[in-house]
Amino acid sequence: MKDHEEVMDNVATHEQWKTVFSELAPGLVLFARQWVRSSADAEDIVQDAFVKFWRRNHKIDNRALLYATVRSTALDLIRRDSRRARREVEASADVDLTIAPQFYVDDESQRALICALDRLPGEQREVLVMKIWNELTFAEIAQALEISQNTAASRYRYALAALKKDLERVQ
Amino acid sequence: MNDFSDIESELKKLRPTQPSADLLRRVENAIVDLSGEEKIVRPHQFRIHWLSLGASLAAAAVVLIFLRFDFQKAAQSPGVAAQSPPPTKPVPATFIPAGATQVVYHTRDEGLFFPLHSEEPVRRVRSRTQETLQWRNPATGASLQVSYPAEHVQFIPVSGQ
Repeated sequence: MKDHEEVMDNVATHEQWKTVFSELAPGLVLFARQWVRSSADAEDIVQDAFVKFWRRNHKIDNRALLYATVRSTALDLIRRDSRRARREVEASADVDLTIAPQFYVDDESQRALICALDRLPGEQREVLVMKIWNELTFAEIAQALEISQNTAASRYRYALAALKKDLERVQ
Repeated sequence: MNDFSDIESELKKLRPTQPSADLLRRVENAIVDLSGEEKIVRPHQFRIHWLSLGASLAAAAVVLIFLRFDFQKAAQSPGVAAQSPPPTKPVPATFIPAGATQVVYHTRDEGLFFPLHSEEPVRRVRSRTQETLQWRNPATGASLQVSYPAEHVQFIPVSGQ
């Protein structure tokens, strides 16, 4: 078990977390956005998960574990607040359907691509987000999602195929 | 081989929006708090259910006593003693920590509070956990486990209010 000195030492000797976190944050927030509607909620999830991850004194380069922590924090939040979230969704349905953008959009083709991304099944989308914007390897994705590497790679290919088909249909 | 290189490159051109500048500061505060007193479990923040802990320890002690009693009985048994002489060295009854888990099964956000002598609000979050400590005797393979419920209250600084 960790003691106070160990935690202090950990913080003192791992100041590089800021650099690493700044680099990872956009991708982590994008990853967390899959389970919540707002950027603020996604940032809360990332904050909770990163602190939880750090508190357990895991190596900063253990990205699979970091993403697994973000995922489990998001799922815990959903389970815990499912009733409240349902009420909020129902209430907001009448008032505001705007969802904060997850990407900077330069042109219409990118907008179409983002719409196609939103239509992907969740399990394919999460693999795509981890691979494309977080640059995780299939081994890391498999570890984070507790699936085999083959399954991770298959979901990735299915996601790309679905996107391609969707875009061809739209054009 | 890869038919999807075009769609992959299109996807890579999409840039995720930047998180708020506040996020890094919030995480930094939380991590700094970890090193200080705020996140260290203090007596008034950490309430062990002593009755449950006592009962668990008592149960563990009873198990240990029975285990030792059984060993002694086996050693005293004439049939066994005749066939297998007692070991020359006694087995050390040393238990070493083998693991610790904390399962958070309930968390409640109790809203914002203004602590005394502070103008900054804090969010009070109460969580209930089941904590389990394990020890193992490497010589005998025996293990000891104690579980007890605990309650934590965390005060999380809030800004921009």
